[in-house]
Amino acid sequence: MGRVNTNQSASVATLVEWLHQFGSLVEQNKGYLTDLDSAIGDADHGSNMARGMTAVLNQVADPGAADALFKKVGMTLVSSVGGASGPLYGTFFMRFATGLGDGTEVTPEALVSSLRAGLDGVISRGKAELGDKTMVDAMTPAVVAIEGSVASGESLADATRAGAEAARRGRESTIAMVARKGRASYLGERSKGHQDPGATSTTYLFEALAASLDGV
Amino acid sequence: MTVALVGVVVVSHSRRLADAAVELAMQMVHGDPPPIRIAAGMPDGGLGTDATAVMEAITAADAGAGVVVLVDLGSAVLSAEMAVELLDDSAPDLRVVPAPFVEGLLAATVRAASGATLDEVALEAARSLTPKLQALGAGPGPESVDTDDDWHADSFDEATLPNPAGLHARPAATVASEAAKYDAEVRLIHHRGGSVPATTPIGLATLNARMGDDLRVEARGPQAAEAVAAIIAMIRGGFGEIDPNAQPPAAPAPAQPLGVSAGRVVGQVHKLTEPMTAPPEHDRVPANAVDAEIATLGGALSAVIDEYRRRAELSAPQAADILQATATLAGDSTLVDAAAGLIRARGMDAPNAFWQAANHVAQSMTDVGGMVAERAVDLADIRDRVVSHLLGIPMPGVVDPGHPFILVARDLAPSETATLDGNTCLAIVTAEGGPTSHTSILARSMGIPAVVGCSRALDIADGTVVLVDGRTGEVIEDPDEDQRAGARTSRAPLRPLEAPGRTADGTPVSLLANVGSGGNATFAARANAEGIGLFRTEFCFLDRAVEPSVSDQVQAYSEVLGAFPGAHVVVRTLDAGSDKPMAFLPMPEEPNPALGVRGYRTSRTHQPMLERQLDAIVTASTASGTDGWVMAPMISTAAEAHDFAALARSRGVTTVGVMIETPSAALQAADILSEVDFVSIGTNDLTQYCMGVDRQAVGLGDLQDPWQPGVLRLLKIIGDAGRASGKPVGVCGEAAADPTLAPVLIGLGVSSLSMSPRSLQSVAEALSEVTVEQCRAAADAAVAATTASGARDAVRAALA
Repeated sequence: MGRVNTNQSASVATLVEWLHQFGSLVEQNKGYLTDLDSAIGDADHGSNMARGMTAVLNQVADPGAADALFKKVGMTLVSSVGGASGPLYGTFFMRFATGLGDGTEVTPEALVSSLRAGLDGVISRGKAELGDKTMVDAMTPAVVAIEGSVASGESLADATRAGAEAARRGRESTIAMVARKGRASYLGERSKGHQDPGATSTTYLFEALAASLDGV
Repeated sequence: MTVALVGVVVVSHSRRLADAAVELAMQMVHGDPPPIRIAAGMPDGGLGTDATAVMEAITAADAGAGVVVLVDLGSAVLSAEMAVELLDDSAPDLRVVPAPFVEGLLAATVRAASGATLDEVALEAARSLTPKLQALGAGPGPESVDTDDDWHADSFDEATLPNPAGLHARPAATVASEAAKYDAEVRLIHHRGGSVPATTPIGLATLNARMGDDLRVEARGPQAAEAVAAIIAMIRGGFGEIDPNAQPPAAPAPAQPLGVSAGRVVGQVHKLTEPMTAPPEHDRVPANAVDAEIATLGGALSAVIDEYRRRAELSAPQAADILQATATLAGDSTLVDAAAGLIRARGMDAPNAFWQAANHVAQSMTDVGGMVAERAVDLADIRDRVVSHLLGIPMPGVVDPGHPFILVARDLAPSETATLDGNTCLAIVTAEGGPTSHTSILARSMGIPAVVGCSRALDIADGTVVLVDGRTGEVIEDPDEDQRAGARTSRAPLRPLEAPGRTADGTPVSLLANVGSGGNATFAARANAEGIGLFRTEFCFLDRAVEPSVSDQVQAYSEVLGAFPGAHVVVRTLDAGSDKPMAFLPMPEEPNPALGVRGYRTSRTHQPMLERQLDAIVTASTASGTDGWVMAPMISTAAEAHDFAALARSRGVTTVGVMIETPSAALQAADILSEVDFVSIGTNDLTQYCMGVDRQAVGLGDLQDPWQPGVLRLLKIIGDAGRASGKPVGVCGEAAADPTLAPVLIGLGVSSLSMSPRSLQSVAEALSEVTVEQCRAAADAAVAATTASGARDAVRAALA
């Protein structure tokens, strides 16, 4: 398989695999995401994300350079998702793209700094902080965990597995939170007890990343 | 030279919302509009925003003067910001404005059309919420320009604002665009203070000028005089808008307790529990306690189901069926499984799990629509009972405490008032509401004394003994013996009619009931009423914001007709207006609505609504097998009677009548009876209009008296016309329930009396003691009297 490599880098093919994994997780859980969103939002997160990822996966057959690929992914999400997750995921991937370089291999360090750039983009776009019951509550611990693992010399597979686990814990933590951003914030205290749909899809993003790097 | 205008970009989730908002804004534009571009919705027509579309809209809206971007919510903001970032260096000068969507768009469009700069347009939009904040008492005062500047007016004049709605957005926009046409600096000054440039609509709106306020227009510059003259003319002319569709203001809550339904009673306070809200949050149920939590839920559910079954056994057949069905619904495994699933999967506690599960099932039922959707209400009842049981708190709503009580509440929903049992509810006291609130209207119709606007009512503890006087508005806690004098402590028992109404010599007099709902009709049937003399259809729909569908109407009317199979039932078409405003039948603002558009007069503007009601009555008559007679309220002329009869007959009504409530109709009774099959006299309104005394006027009780000779003589004219035509004449006002007046009415030629079911037997007894001959003598004596008390004395003497 072309995505096997020994120097711990991730190939563009691996990153495309990540998008496929993410797309199929979103597609499989479309109804669940929409159910979560119907409790506290506008009941469109699942269908919006599935529409966006379908559009994305139609464009990655011939990936080319890493930075151009993910810039295109971001733009596609921006123009096809419809809800707030369009600009948010779009920003994530567009900022993620900037640190990847124009090659077809991405070093662990570049991947980590790109993920951090994506997270910073999401935070500045949505102006959400930790604890606001948003995708940031899953994405922040995931990126922190991957940064820590890579810094202590773990493989990308182990690091992204730790990232996925951290994202899951972050996702769980949103249940008890009161929403302070997005449509759910209008519900105030009534948003408590519901898991945030954005944190849920973000967990899929990191589970997909771990799955695509598993065994690499 | 044409100056480039600032462009406006509208970003919304919904294309329809954006189109409508732009339409609204364009109404305010006089002259050339600025370039406006919409980026709203998804290509497939769904809801959503697209940053690339926003980007394109910004580029297209830019005419060289910059662009302001208005956004609705959530992702619209994100997409707009994203678009700005995507445009990067190629972006025109632009501002994403933190403004309310509709107000901001309106302000920006108007200001942009006047040729203002980008900063001026953005500022105007950003402060566009101020007039609303002020109007609702939450904002700053008018934004005055500095008073210490060297302003001097070359020209000025003053005018009084005639618009009922004041200087609101539309006139403000008109003034602003007019002011911009002149080579002059123009200011508007309000007599209470506040001075603003006339070119800013928002500034003008912050003046908060109301109808009757004086406005001073000042200007300086070459065209100062022309500008002042033009704007003064606009103000004096009311901006060409004295809005014919203005809504009447809601009746303000009275400043002090107001008696709205007469009667003096003493009883224990029973407070209406506030509506149920979501149960409080709890910690997650630990895994080892999940089974116990599910068992607790099962126990509560069983108790609630048992309670439904127990109540079903104690209820009349129709109600019993409903309660049995609700019990079955409560026992449905879907509900308990969903709740148990939430306890198991999410560690929710039982109250929260059941709350959420019931809401979820109710939503699915609502989505299905039709008959299934109507059962969603039952699910809310099940939910509230189970959750109350689990939390050990009282069930919300009116719960029968098992003894006569005085109901105290913030306010009552019409449905809550209508379900009150007049046997145990002695009186109603509400903290809110006014004389024309639904609580007041229904309380009067049910004969329950009521006081509204008693702001301290909610502070009275449950169980406190209070005296309530629904005439004076008194609410006295722990009344002493003197205060208790004359007050009832229980509801007078219902005395059912023992036999059909007859005079001593055997002449039949139909004794009928006044009702406003299926429940009332069932009660009337229990009182052995011979039929329904007045079915006030408007009481079925007082709480509707939109016109009830024909099928809803058919159902409501069938309930009443069905309670009196094959009997005499008179259905009155909607008597909206005056003291019974209805949300779905808006009336013009009138200083004296009792003399305005009410009753049949509403069909001048809403005839299709009347046609639909007639169709519903005919359908309900056919379905129930009871041929309802139909009459229209508030008829003043024979021509109106003619038109109504023609319309009703064309819709399939077999027996058509009208009410006689105006002196004009009474004087023309013979002409009216030649148009219709029967008439019914509304003595309350006939007295009001004959004597020129408002039904709600205080201190004029002696004039609000059907024994007044003027009223009695009008009744004689109607009775004579009835005898001459051989057509039925009924009375359905409070006079019909007066046992001493009843013989007089029969003597005057009335053939049926319709009243509260509680009065039937006492009126029957009075009639059974007199012959028709005596009734005629009593009538002659009454009509000959010159005072109300003289008429009473003369009748007493004639019947002695």
